[in-house]
Amino acid sequence: MKNRLKVLRAERDWTQAQLAQALEVSRQTVNAIETGKFDPSLPLAFRIAHLFEEHIEEIFEPE
Amino acid sequence: MNEAKKTHWAATERDQKNQRHIILWSLAWILPFLGVNLAIENDWIGSDALALAATIGVTVLGLGVLLAYRRFLRNADELMRKIQLDALALTVGVGVVSGFSYTLLEGAGIVAEAEAMTLIMVMVVTYITGVVVGQRRFS
Repeated sequence: MKNRLKVLRAERDWTQAQLAQALEVSRQTVNAIETGKFDPSLPLAFRIAHLFEEHIEEIFEPE
Repeated sequence: MNEAKKTHWAATERDQKNQRHIILWSLAWILPFLGVNLAIENDWIGSDALALAATIGVTVLGLGVLLAYRRFLRNADELMRKIQLDALALTVGVGVVSGFSYTLLEGAGIVAEAEAMTLIMVMVVTYITGVVVGQRRFS
């Protein structure tokens, strides 16, 4: 699954650690999602969408 | 800072706390286990009833480890949970397959009879390897 997480994070000038703290996950989880190595669960995807005030499909899309 | 660079795995505070609980429970289990094992092997325990009671006590402490690990898995960061589940799947696979293969070799007289501890050690090493490889893969 492709995602815009890195772009959204960069727009806010957040570090991976800051985003991880906001999402209550490890920094490695944020990194793995950004690099496409790991797809988040639906609850985490909802938390990400809520944090960035966007719909899930605006952040994640199938490859 | 180049965030894509590989770094040491930094677990969340919640995971670290739950991992500490697993370590404490593991020590609370393994130390009495070693003591009881030593006592049984050296016939320091006078009766079967005492040996049974000591074994039950050690087993109850072992259940503490199991419950602590379950709590850790249920509350773990989801990438950590995936790494743990992958490592557990590898461990079960290696344990079952190597156990059955060894049984065949043993039946054919190619290898000597193995102790249960050997299989346990194989599984422990496989699990640790699985976790380390998983963490390196995603870090």
